[in-house]
Amino acid sequence: MKDKEAGEIETEILLPMLERAISFLTDDMQIKVTSNSAEVVCPNQVELKKNTAMIGTGGSIQVIITMSYDDRLLEKLVEAFLEGEEAGEDELDEIRESVSSEIVNTVVGNALTNPLDGTMLTITPPILIYEAKSLFKHKSSRIATAIVTTEFGDMLLTVIGPKESFADALNFKEL
Amino acid sequence: MLNVLIVDDSLIIRKNVKKYITSLGHNVVGEAQNGAQAIEACKKLKPDLITMDITMPDMDGITAVKNIRVFDKDVNVIMVTSHGQEEMIVSSLKAGAKGYILKPVSEEKLAKSIGTIFKEYNKEEGDSDDDLMDDLDE
Repeated sequence: MKDKEAGEIETEILLPMLERAISFLTDDMQIKVTSNSAEVVCPNQVELKKNTAMIGTGGSIQVIITMSYDDRLLEKLVEAFLEGEEAGEDELDEIRESVSSEIVNTVVGNALTNPLDGTMLTITPPILIYEAKSLFKHKSSRIATAIVTTEFGDMLLTVIGPKESFADALNFKEL
Repeated sequence: MLNVLIVDDSLIIRKNVKKYITSLGHNVVGEAQNGAQAIEACKKLKPDLITMDITMPDMDGITAVKNIRVFDKDVNVIMVTSHGQEEMIVSSLKAGAKGYILKPVSEEKLAKSIGTIFKEYNKEEGDSDDDLMDDLDE
Protein backbone atom coordinates (compact mmCIF):
# COMPACT_ATOMS: atom_id res chain seq x y z
CA MET A 1 0.00 0.00 0.00
CA LYS A 2 3.08 2.26 0.23
CA ASP A 3 2.85 3.38 -3.41
CA LYS A 4 -0.56 4.89 -2.85
CA GLU A 5 -1.21 8.30 -1.30
CA ALA A 6 -2.71 8.29 2.20
CA GLY A 7 -6.41 7.54 1.91
CA GLU A 8 -6.23 6.62 -1.77
CA ILE A 9 -6.78 2.88 -1.27
CA GLU A 10 -9.62 3.54 1.15
CA THR A 11 -11.25 5.95 -1.31
CA GLU A 12 -10.90 3.46 -4.19
CA ILE A 13 -12.61 0.81 -2.05
CA LEU A 14 -15.30 3.25 -0.93
CA LEU A 15 -16.38 4.57 -4.34
CA PRO A 16 -17.89 1.33 -5.77
CA MET A 17 -19.54 0.72 -2.39
CA LEU A 18 -21.06 4.17 -2.47
CA GLU A 19 -22.42 3.46 -5.94
CA ARG A 20 -23.81 0.07 -4.83
CA ALA A 21 -25.31 1.56 -1.64
CA ILE A 22 -27.19 4.11 -3.73
CA SER A 23 -28.48 1.47 -6.17
CA PHE A 24 -29.36 -0.83 -3.26
CA LEU A 25 -31.44 1.87 -1.57
CA THR A 26 -33.06 3.02 -4.80
CA ASP A 27 -33.60 -0.21 -6.76
CA ASP A 28 -33.76 -2.94 -4.10
CA MET A 29 -35.35 -1.04 -1.20
CA GLN A 30 -37.38 1.53 -3.22
CA ILE A 31 -36.06 4.36 -1.04
CA LYS A 32 -35.49 7.70 -2.75
CA VAL A 33 -31.94 9.05 -2.56
CA THR A 34 -31.72 12.83 -2.58
CA SER A 35 -29.72 13.93 -5.59
CA ASN A 36 -26.20 15.35 -5.25
CA SER A 37 -26.01 14.22 -1.64
CA ALA A 38 -23.12 11.82 -1.84
CA GLU A 39 -19.53 12.91 -1.56
CA VAL A 40 -16.29 11.25 -0.53
CA VAL A 41 -14.11 13.05 1.99
CA CYS A 42 -11.04 12.00 4.01
CA PRO A 43 -11.64 13.60 7.41
CA ASN A 44 -9.55 13.56 10.59
CA GLN A 45 -12.56 12.47 12.63
CA VAL A 46 -15.71 10.44 11.97
CA GLU A 47 -18.86 10.34 14.11
CA LEU A 48 -20.47 6.89 13.87
CA LYS A 49 -24.19 6.77 14.58
CA LYS A 50 -25.65 4.38 17.18
CA ASN A 51 -27.01 2.11 14.41
CA THR A 52 -23.71 0.94 12.95
CA ALA A 53 -22.64 -2.36 11.41
CA MET A 54 -19.05 -3.09 10.46
CA ILE A 55 -17.14 -5.62 8.40
CA GLY A 56 -13.41 -6.28 8.17
CA THR A 57 -11.59 -7.34 5.03
CA GLY A 58 -8.89 -9.99 4.81
CA GLY A 59 -6.26 -10.52 2.13
CA SER A 60 -3.79 -8.02 0.71
CA ILE A 61 -5.88 -5.07 1.97
CA GLN A 62 -7.07 -5.07 5.57
CA VAL A 63 -9.54 -2.34 6.41
CA ILE A 64 -12.72 -1.87 8.44
CA ILE A 65 -15.86 -0.83 6.59
CA THR A 66 -18.74 0.66 8.57
CA MET A 67 -22.27 1.56 7.63
CA SER A 68 -24.38 3.75 9.93
CA TYR A 69 -28.05 4.65 9.63
CA ASP A 70 -30.37 7.26 11.07
CA ASP A 71 -33.16 5.65 13.13
CA ARG A 72 -35.96 6.40 10.66
CA LEU A 73 -33.99 5.08 7.70
CA LEU A 74 -33.26 1.83 9.54
CA GLU A 75 -36.95 1.41 10.36
CA LYS A 76 -37.84 1.85 6.68
CA LEU A 77 -35.17 -0.67 5.68
CA VAL A 78 -36.58 -3.18 8.19
CA GLU A 79 -40.05 -2.66 6.68
CA ALA A 80 -38.65 -3.25 3.20
CA PHE A 81 -36.91 -6.48 4.24
CA LEU A 82 -40.06 -7.76 5.93
CA GLU A 83 -41.96 -7.24 2.64
CA GLY A 84 -45.22 -6.39 4.35
CA GLU A 85 -45.07 -9.18 6.94
CA GLU A 86 -45.59 -8.41 10.63
CA ALA A 87 -42.76 -9.19 13.03
CA GLY A 88 -43.37 -10.21 16.62
CA GLU A 89 -42.33 -7.75 19.34
CA ASP A 90 -40.02 -10.40 20.80
CA GLU A 91 -38.00 -10.71 17.58
CA LEU A 92 -38.04 -7.09 16.37
CA ASP A 93 -34.70 -6.12 17.97
CA GLU A 94 -33.01 -9.16 16.46
CA ILE A 95 -34.54 -8.42 13.05
CA ARG A 96 -33.36 -4.81 13.25
CA GLU A 97 -29.80 -6.03 13.99
CA SER A 98 -30.06 -8.62 11.27
CA VAL A 99 -31.16 -6.06 8.65
CA SER A 100 -28.43 -3.61 9.66
CA SER A 101 -25.82 -6.38 9.31
CA GLU A 102 -27.28 -7.80 6.12
CA ILE A 103 -27.17 -4.48 4.27
CA VAL A 104 -23.49 -3.90 5.00
CA ASN A 105 -22.81 -7.53 4.07
CA THR A 106 -24.69 -7.22 0.76
CA VAL A 107 -23.30 -3.84 -0.28
CA VAL A 108 -19.70 -4.67 0.68
CA GLY A 109 -19.84 -8.20 -0.75
CA ASN A 110 -21.38 -7.02 -4.03
CA ALA A 111 -19.02 -4.10 -4.52
CA LEU A 112 -15.71 -5.18 -2.96
CA THR A 113 -12.74 -4.73 -5.28
CA ASN A 114 -9.01 -4.85 -4.67
CA PRO A 115 -7.42 -1.72 -6.16
CA LEU A 116 -3.99 -2.78 -4.91
CA ASP A 117 -3.29 -6.06 -6.74
CA GLY A 118 -6.66 -7.44 -7.87
CA THR A 119 -6.46 -10.52 -5.63
CA MET A 120 -9.52 -11.80 -3.79
CA LEU A 121 -10.44 -10.10 -0.52
CA THR A 122 -12.46 -11.97 2.09
CA ILE A 123 -14.90 -10.33 4.49
CA THR A 124 -15.66 -11.12 8.12
CA PRO A 125 -19.18 -11.71 9.41
CA PRO A 126 -20.84 -8.37 10.26
CA ILE A 127 -20.36 -6.91 13.74
CA LEU A 128 -22.65 -4.35 15.41
CA ILE A 129 -21.60 -1.24 17.31
CA TYR A 130 -24.17 -0.28 19.92
CA GLU A 131 -23.34 3.32 20.72
CA ALA A 132 -22.34 6.46 18.87
CA LYS A 133 -18.55 6.62 18.49
CA SER A 134 -16.03 9.24 17.48
CA LEU A 135 -13.13 7.86 15.48
CA PHE A 136 -10.04 10.06 15.34
CA LYS A 137 -7.44 9.70 12.62
CA HIS A 138 -4.18 8.26 13.97
CA LYS A 139 -0.77 9.16 12.59
CA SER A 140 -0.61 6.14 10.26
CA SER A 141 -4.34 5.64 9.76
CA ARG A 142 -6.54 6.58 6.84
CA ILE A 143 -10.28 7.31 6.75
CA ALA A 144 -12.54 7.78 3.75
CA THR A 145 -16.23 8.51 4.27
CA ALA A 146 -19.37 9.30 2.31
CA ILE A 147 -22.92 10.29 3.27
CA VAL A 148 -25.97 9.21 1.30
CA THR A 149 -29.02 11.31 2.11
CA THR A 150 -32.42 9.70 1.59
CA GLU A 151 -35.99 10.78 2.12
CA PHE A 152 -35.83 9.01 5.52
CA GLY A 153 -32.43 10.16 6.77
CA ASP A 154 -28.75 9.54 6.22
CA MET A 155 -26.57 6.50 5.62
CA LEU A 156 -22.89 6.99 6.48
CA LEU A 157 -20.26 4.78 4.83
CA THR A 158 -16.71 4.72 6.15
CA VAL A 159 -13.57 2.83 5.14
CA ILE A 160 -10.86 3.00 7.77
CA GLY A 161 -7.45 1.46 7.71
CA PRO A 162 -5.28 -0.17 8.63
CA LYS A 163 -7.71 -2.44 10.49
CA GLU A 164 -5.51 -2.96 13.56
CA SER A 165 -5.43 0.81 14.27
CA PHE A 166 -9.10 0.83 15.17
CA ALA A 167 -10.24 -2.69 16.07
CA ASP A 168 -9.47 -2.24 19.78
CA ALA A 169 -11.17 1.17 19.95
CA LEU A 170 -14.54 -0.24 18.90
CA ASN A 171 -16.38 -2.23 21.53
CA PHE A 172 -18.57 -4.38 19.34
CA LYS A 173 -20.92 -7.35 19.49
CA GLU A 174 -20.21 -10.27 17.18
CA LEU A 175 -23.44 -11.76 15.84
CA MET B 1 -41.50 -31.12 -3.52
CA LEU B 2 -37.98 -30.72 -2.15
CA ASN B 3 -36.92 -30.88 1.49
CA VAL B 4 -34.72 -27.83 2.04
CA LEU B 5 -32.18 -26.90 4.73
CA ILE B 6 -31.49 -23.15 5.09
CA VAL B 7 -28.05 -22.11 6.36
CA ASP B 8 -27.40 -18.43 7.10
CA ASP B 9 -26.30 -16.48 10.20
CA SER B 10 -28.78 -13.70 9.37
CA LEU B 11 -32.28 -14.05 10.86
CA ILE B 12 -33.89 -11.86 8.19
CA ILE B 13 -32.34 -13.91 5.38
CA ARG B 14 -33.47 -17.20 6.96
CA LYS B 15 -37.00 -15.78 7.30
CA ASN B 16 -37.12 -14.52 3.71
CA VAL B 17 -35.56 -17.62 2.14
CA LYS B 18 -38.01 -19.78 4.11
CA LYS B 19 -40.91 -17.69 2.79
CA TYR B 20 -39.67 -18.00 -0.83
CA ILE B 21 -38.99 -21.75 -0.57
CA THR B 22 -42.45 -22.35 0.88
CA SER B 23 -44.04 -20.14 -1.77
CA LEU B 24 -42.30 -22.22 -4.46
CA GLY B 25 -44.03 -25.31 -3.06
CA HIS B 26 -41.10 -26.87 -1.20
CA ASN B 27 -40.68 -27.88 2.43
CA VAL B 28 -38.17 -26.30 4.84
CA VAL B 29 -36.95 -29.13 7.06
CA GLY B 30 -34.46 -27.14 9.11
CA GLU B 31 -32.35 -24.04 9.63
CA ALA B 32 -28.72 -23.58 10.72
CA GLN B 33 -26.72 -20.49 11.62
CA ASN B 34 -23.18 -21.63 10.78
CA GLY B 35 -21.27 -24.34 8.94
CA ALA B 36 -20.89 -26.66 11.91
CA GLN B 37 -24.63 -26.62 12.60
CA ALA B 38 -25.24 -27.22 8.89
CA ILE B 39 -23.14 -30.40 8.89
CA GLU B 40 -25.04 -31.82 11.87
CA ALA B 41 -28.42 -30.81 10.42
CA CYS B 42 -27.52 -32.36 7.07
CA LYS B 43 -26.60 -35.71 8.70
CA LYS B 44 -29.84 -35.72 10.69
CA LEU B 45 -32.33 -34.30 8.17
CA LYS B 46 -30.89 -35.55 4.84
CA PRO B 47 -32.27 -32.59 2.83
CA ASP B 48 -32.69 -32.67 -0.97
CA LEU B 49 -31.31 -29.13 -1.19
CA ILE B 50 -29.27 -26.78 1.00
CA THR B 51 -29.16 -22.98 0.65
CA MET B 52 -25.80 -21.96 2.11
CA ASP B 53 -24.33 -18.57 3.05
CA ILE B 54 -20.54 -18.24 2.69
CA THR B 55 -19.54 -15.71 5.37
CA MET B 56 -20.59 -17.08 8.74
CA PRO B 57 -19.01 -17.20 12.21
CA ASP B 58 -17.25 -20.38 13.45
CA MET B 59 -17.30 -22.23 10.11
CA ASP B 60 -17.85 -20.66 6.67
CA GLY B 61 -20.12 -22.08 3.99
CA ILE B 62 -17.39 -23.31 1.63
CA THR B 63 -15.74 -25.33 4.41
CA ALA B 64 -19.15 -26.71 5.37
CA VAL B 65 -19.88 -27.86 1.80
CA LYS B 66 -16.52 -29.65 1.62
CA ASN B 67 -17.28 -31.43 4.91
CA ILE B 68 -20.81 -32.37 3.88
CA ARG B 69 -19.57 -33.87 0.62
CA VAL B 70 -17.40 -36.29 2.62
CA PHE B 71 -20.53 -38.17 3.71
CA ASP B 72 -22.92 -37.06 0.92
CA LYS B 73 -21.11 -36.54 -2.37
CA ASP B 74 -24.36 -35.92 -4.29
CA VAL B 75 -25.61 -33.13 -2.02
CA ASN B 76 -27.33 -30.25 -3.83
CA VAL B 77 -26.12 -26.91 -2.50
CA ILE B 78 -26.96 -23.39 -3.67
CA MET B 79 -24.64 -20.74 -2.27
CA VAL B 80 -26.66 -17.64 -1.30
CA THR B 81 -24.10 -14.96 -0.67
CA SER B 82 -23.11 -11.33 -1.19
CA HIS B 83 -19.68 -12.16 -2.67
CA GLY B 84 -19.54 -11.15 -6.32
CA GLN B 85 -15.84 -11.84 -6.78
CA GLU B 86 -15.21 -14.47 -9.47
CA GLU B 87 -12.62 -16.32 -7.37
CA MET B 88 -15.20 -16.81 -4.63
CA ILE B 89 -17.70 -18.24 -7.13
CA VAL B 90 -15.08 -20.62 -8.53
CA SER B 91 -14.11 -21.68 -4.98
CA SER B 92 -17.76 -22.45 -4.22
CA LEU B 93 -18.19 -24.57 -7.36
CA LYS B 94 -14.92 -26.41 -6.70
CA ALA B 95 -16.10 -27.15 -3.16
CA GLY B 96 -19.17 -28.84 -4.64
CA ALA B 97 -21.89 -26.19 -4.80
CA LYS B 98 -24.25 -26.63 -7.75
CA GLY B 99 -25.70 -23.12 -7.81
CA TYR B 100 -24.80 -19.59 -6.78
CA ILE B 101 -27.17 -16.72 -5.95
CA LEU B 102 -25.86 -13.22 -5.40
CA LYS B 103 -27.63 -11.34 -2.59
CA PRO B 104 -30.05 -9.65 -2.30
CA VAL B 105 -31.95 -12.92 -2.60
CA SER B 106 -35.36 -13.03 -4.27
CA GLU B 107 -37.95 -15.70 -5.00
CA GLU B 108 -37.21 -15.36 -8.73
CA LYS B 109 -33.47 -15.98 -8.28
CA LEU B 110 -34.15 -19.02 -6.07
CA ALA B 111 -36.69 -20.45 -8.51
CA LYS B 112 -34.27 -20.09 -11.42
CA SER B 113 -31.37 -21.69 -9.55
CA ILE B 114 -33.47 -24.59 -8.26
CA GLY B 115 -34.86 -25.10 -11.77
CA THR B 116 -31.35 -25.21 -13.25
CA ILE B 117 -30.03 -27.74 -10.73
CA PHE B 118 -32.95 -30.12 -10.87
CA LYS B 119 -33.28 -29.90 -14.65
CA GLU B 120 -29.59 -30.84 -14.91
CA TYR B 121 -29.85 -33.58 -12.31
CA ASN B 122 -29.72 -36.47 -14.79
CA LYS B 123 -27.30 -34.93 -17.24
CA GLU B 124 -23.55 -35.42 -17.45
CA GLU B 125 -21.61 -33.72 -14.66
CA GLY B 126 -20.07 -30.41 -15.77
CA ASP B 127 -23.00 -29.11 -17.79
CA SER B 128 -24.57 -27.39 -14.79
CA ASP B 129 -21.37 -25.50 -13.93
CA ASP B 130 -21.30 -23.96 -17.42
CA ASP B 131 -24.94 -22.95 -17.04
CA LEU B 132 -24.15 -21.38 -13.69
CA MET B 133 -21.42 -19.21 -15.13
CA ASP B 134 -23.77 -18.21 -17.96
CA ASP B 135 -26.38 -17.23 -15.39
CA LEU B 136 -23.87 -15.08 -13.53
CA ASP B 137 -22.84 -13.31 -16.72
CA GLU B 138 -26.42 -12.23 -17.42
